[in-house]
Amino acid sequence: MQDQNTFTYDLRDIAAAAEFVLAKAGPRKVIAFYGGMGAGKTTLIKAICAQLGVQDITASPTFALINVYAHPDGHTQVYHIDLYRLRHLEEALDIGVEEILYKSADYVFIEWPEILEPLMPEDVLRVHLENLGDTQRRMGI
Amino acid sequence: MSVIILGIESSCDDTAAAIVQDGKVRSNCIAGQEVHRLYGGVVPEAASRAHLSHIVPVVQQAMEQAGVALHQVDAIAFTRGPGLMGSLLVGVSFAKSLALSLQRPLIEVNHLLAHVASNFADPPMPNFPMLCLTVSGGHTQIVQVDDYLDMRPLGQTLDDAAGEAFDKTGKLLGIEYPSGPLIDRLAQQGQARFAFPEPQVPGLDFSFSGLKTSILHFLQKHTAANPDFVKQNLPDICASVQHRIVTILMRKLEMAAAQTGIREVAIAGGVSANSELRRQFQQAGQRLGWKVYIPRLEYCTDNAAMIALAGYFKYLRGDFVAHDVTPMARWSMV
Repeated sequence: MQDQNTFTYDLRDIAAAAEFVLAKAGPRKVIAFYGGMGAGKTTLIKAICAQLGVQDITASPTFALINVYAHPDGHTQVYHIDLYRLRHLEEALDIGVEEILYKSADYVFIEWPEILEPLMPEDVLRVHLENLGDTQRRMGI
Repeated sequence: MSVIILGIESSCDDTAAAIVQDGKVRSNCIAGQEVHRLYGGVVPEAASRAHLSHIVPVVQQAMEQAGVALHQVDAIAFTRGPGLMGSLLVGVSFAKSLALSLQRPLIEVNHLLAHVASNFADPPMPNFPMLCLTVSGGHTQIVQVDDYLDMRPLGQTLDDAAGEAFDKTGKLLGIEYPSGPLIDRLAQQGQARFAFPEPQVPGLDFSFSGLKTSILHFLQKHTAANPDFVKQNLPDICASVQHRIVTILMRKLEMAAAQTGIREVAIAGGVSANSELRRQFQQAGQRLGWKVYIPRLEYCTDNAAMIALAGYFKYLRGDFVAHDVTPMARWSMV
């Protein structure tokens, strides 16, 4: 089922899903990814980074909280944030998420963004992921 | 002539300080443990503010335990990266200020290189070249070590780290974070009778994200038929997951040893405390004729002794940095 705001995909076609997100985002740079464990958040963000031409290894930031990748344009960054381990907004502030969110020039991809709601920029793109079993995923925007 | 190095580590959750004298660890202190007990209070996870309040007491404690005074310190080694920018900043700024006020040289250390260096804390010293499997909550890599400071990664995880695979499995099973140690304990009472697929990743790289998803589907399928499935089979599920994670690690490590012909093999990082990994690692060593090295537990998790040790070898080389050094959240080992 595909319509304007939902996209069902197989993990083999993840590149198409990444394209869909970037097309939806347009000029917006902050994208929040919702969905339970195994929904495919990190995998989709990896695919989006690949689409942007990021050359670094885009591994999960769950432990590191924030991974920073070099954007191929040579002067901006791609932030890959994972708030899974944090419990309170205050902890997110302590690690400097606010500064990153409002830098505007850089792409910011956020996993487990729930605690950040009060701080989210107005034009954030929200992507909801759902695991349909095996390699099928559904995305709602 | 005796050389005394103060090491400082603040790359992620823990603030740590250690003294190494002539390559021997004299003290190794971690805030959130000893300091936390001494000073009380709550340690908010991963907060640079916590690093700020911990760094002075933990350095003092390391000095006192080693019986070393500040003026005796010959150089200050610190973790420059990789890690969390806000956390790194505290350790880097502190090290710079202290070096400036004491008029001592400053030594930058890569956190991942230091994990490998934890194998140089106690005799027997490995011979080079050596392979090291570094496994922790945030990292999973196989490193070829040609000398104390000369190393390069041969393979690494493309998504989740091994420690993360333990933690996220724990979450699915309803086990408190960090769940690695508890899964290890439960697994010892169980049988690895559930099979999980092995990821197909080329070369010496790792992937654990598919395993996480297959565990999720496995649990969904079984709890749909029997809501008490997890409760009734917890030790066996833990044993099965642990067995799979460890065999993924060991298969790549054995591949690396076969490809390079290297038979000096070490493990490092927090997950090297895992009993099944230690067992399979020792077994592989016996079967394949490796000389195996496992650091003491206190040098496996994030610590400053490994920073001071790496710093000591850099000191011998005269490898110092200028005072305008800044942290690097991303910093490859080579």
